[in-house]
Amino acid sequence: MSDGDLAFDSASDLGRLLRARRISAVELTQLFLARAEALNSLSKAFTRVTETEALKAAKAADSALARGDDPGPLLAIPFTSKDMIDIAGQPTSGGAKGFADGPATADAPVIASLRAAGAVSLGKANLHAFAYGATGENRDFGTAVNAYDPGRLAGGSSSGSAASVAFGLATASLGTDTGGSVRVPAALSGLVGLKPTYGRISLRGVLPFSWSLDHLGTITRTVRDAAALLQCLAAFDPQDPASAPEPVSDYLSPLGDPAPLTGLTIGVPRRFFFEHADDEILAAAEAVLLSLEGAGAKVREVALPEMTHARTVALTVQMPEALSLHASHLDRKPEVYSDDFRAGLALGQFILAEHFIRAKRIMTLYRRQTEAVFDGVDVLLTPATPLVAPEFGTVSTKIGGLEEPVGNAMMRFSTFFNMTGHPAITLPSGLSSQGLPMSVQLVGRYFDEAKLLRVASKVEEEERFRLPRPLLHRQEKAAREDGAEGSGLTRRPAS
Amino acid sequence: MDPLQRETLLRACRQLACHDWSDAEITELVAPRHGIITGFQDLLTQQDALRALDLGTLPPAEGVRAKVRDDE
Repeated sequence: MSDGDLAFDSASDLGRLLRARRISAVELTQLFLARAEALNSLSKAFTRVTETEALKAAKAADSALARGDDPGPLLAIPFTSKDMIDIAGQPTSGGAKGFADGPATADAPVIASLRAAGAVSLGKANLHAFAYGATGENRDFGTAVNAYDPGRLAGGSSSGSAASVAFGLATASLGTDTGGSVRVPAALSGLVGLKPTYGRISLRGVLPFSWSLDHLGTITRTVRDAAALLQCLAAFDPQDPASAPEPVSDYLSPLGDPAPLTGLTIGVPRRFFFEHADDEILAAAEAVLLSLEGAGAKVREVALPEMTHARTVALTVQMPEALSLHASHLDRKPEVYSDDFRAGLALGQFILAEHFIRAKRIMTLYRRQTEAVFDGVDVLLTPATPLVAPEFGTVSTKIGGLEEPVGNAMMRFSTFFNMTGHPAITLPSGLSSQGLPMSVQLVGRYFDEAKLLRVASKVEEEERFRLPRPLLHRQEKAAREDGAEGSGLTRRPAS
Repeated sequence: MDPLQRETLLRACRQLACHDWSDAEITELVAPRHGIITGFQDLLTQQDALRALDLGTLPPAEGVRAKVRDDE
């Protein structure tokens, strides 16, 4: 069992090794800290590594194991969290140096829940500053790179969250998803990205981008790990106005169910979601559909609402909300904002109030129309993205005759479900001929994450949809064993 | 709808309670050159199209709730 094996193990596999005393929590944490030190200059996954705090938490986990106290599957599991999420005693940078006025005074509830479960925070993950953008480009901390090809983007805005897991620098990560910012980087990096129902996980202590669209999400190696994290994090928070007082299901038990998916119906919205996408990605999505049909599910075509103006509706809601949030900092600390974000905020300034309210009413329309579709199906399936991870410097893409800015293309299949608030998960559907991850997206009924995760686990069970580890890992390891400095890889500038 | 003019936005900055936007930022909204945004004019054109949608008495979106269905 090499360090590399452990670094790419799932939380459930690591849990078995920890409980069998084949490795201690401190040893595991030291392993990940060493990898973070060695690989952060390449991956740009972290904005901050918190070694002392991590080792302290790991010692506490070892003590708990020695006492026979076992709070569950996340004990001693190393995780990172997007640098939008408060950790007591550390500044929340939002991905911009100088933004934070001081350290956070308390853990966000999601961090507190993970600590209570014995998980070990390794530090804060890099991001597209203030979660504004799908490319993950970051002026102050560098741009996180894709573990399958360091000349390509990890995706964003939770870019460091995805890179930290994909590079084997953490086992899981927390991110935020306003238009696909958890699902898209997970999809491009060969991981599992879960955005639960709007209001399922508390956003208190998390720097907002757009209150109406923000979701807390997770990036993991496996569906089971996503379920374990959701089991820990799902809760009603009366101090979060968006939090939903809905009962929390058992997300883990249904995953091991060997029964076929008989009785479940998978809806396929071919219009819009299967158009202007890479042929290999579409073929992989069709293969997943056939697999689910083979597992007993019914598959039928459905029509989601007209999408022509969906991106406009999302922008019309999010930019005035972002401007309102950043208003005081914009006046006090204008230098912390990059040109791209300032341009977006300026756009938010001139959106008329009636247009903003109309967009929020159209969100209600989208929700009702989508809910009507879910009267006839249990889960929707779409490709996660229309393209594989773009190369650095890509400005626009042209797929199937549709030319659009690369960021728009990356989020094209995900943003709609931030407006409707339905739970959605992305997971691998195979490797492209270029050796890059392809993924599908599954979308479920409100608060029915249990069924969503069960269907996702059926997909994951199929060997042909699983991905090999990033080649990068083996190259890095060889470079370090040879005593060579750096990766030996040719890289383009990260930003 | 007339095309948006840079002067309209500059005047709004002076006459409405706005943040301080630079000339370059205002110009970028009206005539995007850097690919930072895809153009305010496009957004306004789409807003104009959305005005044709009759939303009746639909309220703005707030939180979501689980729906109990016949098959559950």
